Formats: sequence, structure tokens, C-alpha cells
Amino acid sequence: MIIVVTEEEIEQVTKLMKIDVHDHKEFIDKVHAMIDYFDILDSAGVEDEEILMNDVPLSSLRDDKHIPYQDKLIEKLKHYKGTYVRAPKMM
Amino acid sequence: MHQVKNGDISVEEFTAKTMERIHQVDDSIHAFLHVNSDAIEQARSIDKKIKSGEKVGDCFGMPISIKDNICIKDTKTTCASKMLHDFVAPYDATVISRLKQQDAIFVGKVNLDEFAMGLTTEFSAYGPTRNPWNIDYVPGGSSGGSAASVSAFECVASLGSDTGGSVRNPASFCGVVGFKPTYGLISRFGLISYANSIEQIGPITRTVKDTAFMLNIISGHDSNDDTTIDNPQDYLSGIDAGIEGKKIGIIQEMVGEGIDPVVLSATKNAIAKLEGLGATCEEVHLEMVKYSVAAYYTITATEAGSNLARYDNLLYGYDFPVEGYEFNSYISKARTKFGPEVTRRMILGGFVPSAGHAGRYFLKALKVKQKLTREIEQLFKKYDYLIAPTVPVLPFKFGEKINDPIALFLVDINTVTANLTGKPAISVPFEMSNGLPIGVQIIANSNKDKSVLQAAYALESTVKLPEVPI
Repeated sequence: MIIVVTEEEIEQVTKLMKIDVHDHKEFIDKVHAMIDYFDILDSAGVEDEEILMNDVPLSSLRDDKHIPYQDKLIEKLKHYKGTYVRAPKMM
Repeated sequence: MHQVKNGDISVEEFTAKTMERIHQVDDSIHAFLHVNSDAIEQARSIDKKIKSGEKVGDCFGMPISIKDNICIKDTKTTCASKMLHDFVAPYDATVISRLKQQDAIFVGKVNLDEFAMGLTTEFSAYGPTRNPWNIDYVPGGSSGGSAASVSAFECVASLGSDTGGSVRNPASFCGVVGFKPTYGLISRFGLISYANSIEQIGPITRTVKDTAFMLNIISGHDSNDDTTIDNPQDYLSGIDAGIEGKKIGIIQEMVGEGIDPVVLSATKNAIAKLEGLGATCEEVHLEMVKYSVAAYYTITATEAGSNLARYDNLLYGYDFPVEGYEFNSYISKARTKFGPEVTRRMILGGFVPSAGHAGRYFLKALKVKQKLTREIEQLFKKYDYLIAPTVPVLPFKFGEKINDPIALFLVDINTVTANLTGKPAISVPFEMSNGLPIGVQIIANSNKDKSVLQAAYALESTVKLPEVPI
């Protein structure tokens, strides 16, 4: 059964992804064309394939420890005073 | 560089010549986004080391350009995006610190498609790079600035990143060597992420030997990137080992439908050369190649959707007043700085793994990736190398494919397989057609990076291309 992806579904994802689209129609048409192309995956015959995952044991990862940073990052910011940083007012 | 090592000219003189070349040609090529104004000063300090008898690193002041998605401390790193227009990297990528230790000089940061999403550099927010062989044509991408800068003699080598062919494709279009190593051979620490599970940093150089030289410096395990592998090798030693007695498979799915007859003819000529050097070539099949581009774009869009979520103008972004917006609409508005291709791929990245669609797209793409890997590993039980054209078409003109996303997708069909399967692959410039280069791609099994360089060196030794006309 062919399931058609609707423009409304794409628009809904756009909202959830917090993306503002200008040239709406042309934009959605291109995304739609891309998704249509992905339908070729339906004929790949991989339904029975089991997805294998590589488990990486925690012991293989580096220690989660503080790494000293020599520079003063705060001085790279535009708006700061002492150790306080001015962030955008969001409320 | 031999003249510098022999002491015939100083590092400062060589660097000055390189900078002069950049000023001469880059107005028409536009490979560089930022040029390093301290390069001459850095060259002088290397000269001082030479004069005082201090140990000098293997690069001896070698001028290198860096794709602008790799972090150099205290240097702008824009990813060719307006979103990161003012971003200055606070640390060095591992590849950068390793090159610095060997006294390399970074002459500048070079252009790319925004966030490495594209294959022509037409999606750069700062305008496209032009192909040095003919400036009406695209240089390939996304590492188009890297390939063009090497091709136009604006540097000796460059670092790019290859997610689906982004090193090999522009190398092919610009007539230089481009190498995508085994996944994990080179640290990605300090590479701005696009699709972590398949992308790799790779060198672009004029010769295979230069690629081996670069690999000796930048490859190896890195505790800052737990996907790196420990496989120490000297890539330069034995590079001339030849390919006598080697078995090579010609991937039929990469020389069939849609291939330009001129590219096909060049590939056949390359195969004949390899046979002349003592290799045996046979036709082989990789059935999953047909689905590889769809799988590749599904997987990369999903990872891009996640990676690019950090650009919300709170964690990363630019000065943009918040007055008049509520929280969500502020983020949406700030993200309008993303170009059209990045925005499209973020939307795709939200869609294909979403509830109700993941089984149809993302999970199926992972299954194709897995089956393709099994198929290629089966082939490597019998063959030492696989061969195909790097790109099935010749370089094309600006604007020719930019409005047709599917036509652009299909330019990637011969390169994504190495990324999806994690295998090393190299593009070697082989022939010219109407003044435009054609590259041939050689793929080997994982951790056979040294072997793939040996085959590439053998093929390269049969080729004499003209000088770039710029």
C-alpha cells in the first residue's frame, strides 16, 4: 500500500522543529519531492533484516573528568561584567 | 617544499609566494573565506627555529588550507553559514593540533556548502567557489574550497570532511587527490558535526604521496573521539609496492544507468592501465547501491536534524533582539539565517525518524546500510579493491542542478557507499575531457588505508595531466 505524505504533515514537522519557512509552497514542494524519492527504500527487500547495534562498554570510554581550559572564555563574550554574562531576556 | 627543506628558500619566502598566489587568483576562484594574516609571522618563527638548529616539525611550514567546519583556536569558523558568522573557535580540532606540532602553517579557512550539506558549494552563504579548470563550472563539494585551493596552487594541501563524498567529489571535479579514510582513522574532535556516524575528515592534495604524508600526521587514536581506532602505520613507506597480482572488482551498479559515456570511457581506460600493471579486474555487483542514496540522505538528515538543533540562538547564534517574540517564535525566527538546503534537511531530519514514519524511512535506511556493508565485505573476501568512477558525470555549470534536489542526490551515487560501510576510498585524477578533470575511485576494506594508497599511487604513476590553466 502506498502511503502519501501530505503537505500538512510536513508543515507540522516544520512547526515542531521550530523552523520558519518563507517561500512556503516551493519549499514544501522540494521537501515533498525528496521524501517521495525515499520511497525507493520500500523496494529494497530489507524487511527481514535485523538491525545490529554495537554496544560500547563504559570502560572503553574516556573518563568524564574536568579538563582545565587555560583561556578566560568569558572574555570572548561581548556582554559581561565580572563573572556575570548578559543573556537575552526570554520572559 | 623540497626547496624549503633543502634550505634553497626560507619558509617566509615560500609562505609569501603562497599568500601572493592567493591574492592573485582567489578573486576569481573564491576558495577562501578567511585568510590568515599572521601566516608570514608564523613562517618567520619557523625560520628562526631552523637557523637556531632547533628541531623543526615534518611540515616545515607547509601551507595548508582548512575547510571552515574544522575548528582552529581563535579563528573564525563559520561553516559557510550566516548562523555562525561571528563564531570564533575556542579550541583546536585534534587534526589541527597535530599539524601545528609538525609546524604546518594554516593559510586560511576555505569555502564549503553550508554545514557541508551539498556537492557544488552553491549552498555556501558567502557565494560559491569556482572550478580552477573553468570558472563557469562548479568545483564539486561540499569541500569545494579545499579542492579548488589545492588545484589552483593556493596551498600545498587541504583538509576537508567527507560525509557522502564531500572530499572525493570535489577532488574529482578539480583534478586533485581526495581521500576518505576508514571510519575512525582520523579524529573528528573539533569537526562541526553533520552526520557523526559516517563522516570523516580527509586530506585533499595534488599527489598520493602528499596524502600519505598528511595521513602520517593526522591519523591515530584520540581520547577526545572514542570512535577513533588505533592502527599505527607509516603510509609513505612501501607506497610504491605496486598492484601486481591484486584482484579488482568493477562495481557494475556504478558504471550503468545515468553514467556519462566520457566518464565510462575514462574508467575503462583506468581499468586497462591497472591490468597493465599486473592486476586482474572483474565485474562485480553490489545490489544495495541502488538504494544507497536514499538510505544515505535519510540517515544524514536524521543526524543533521539532531546536530543542528543546538543552533537556537541561545547556545550558538548571533546578535538578534528578542523583543516582540515569544520563546518558540524567537527560535524559529533566528533560524531563518539558515540557508534553504540546511532548512530542507532539518525538516527532513524531523520527518523521517518521527513516530509513524521511522519504520518506513529511518529504520529501513539503517537496514539498507547494514545489508550494503555485508555485501561489500563479501566482495572483499575475494577482491583486494573495488573500482568505479568517483562521480558518474562531468563537472557541470553553476545553476544546472541546484533547483532539482533529486538530480543532485544522484551525483552522490558512487561515493556514499564508502561512507555507509565505513570503508577507505580515494579519488585519483585520471583523464581530462573538454578541459575538465575526471577522477577514478578505488575502495578497499576497512583498515586497508595503506593498501588503497598503494593502488592509487600505482594508477597515478600512469597519468600525466596538464597544468591548471589559472
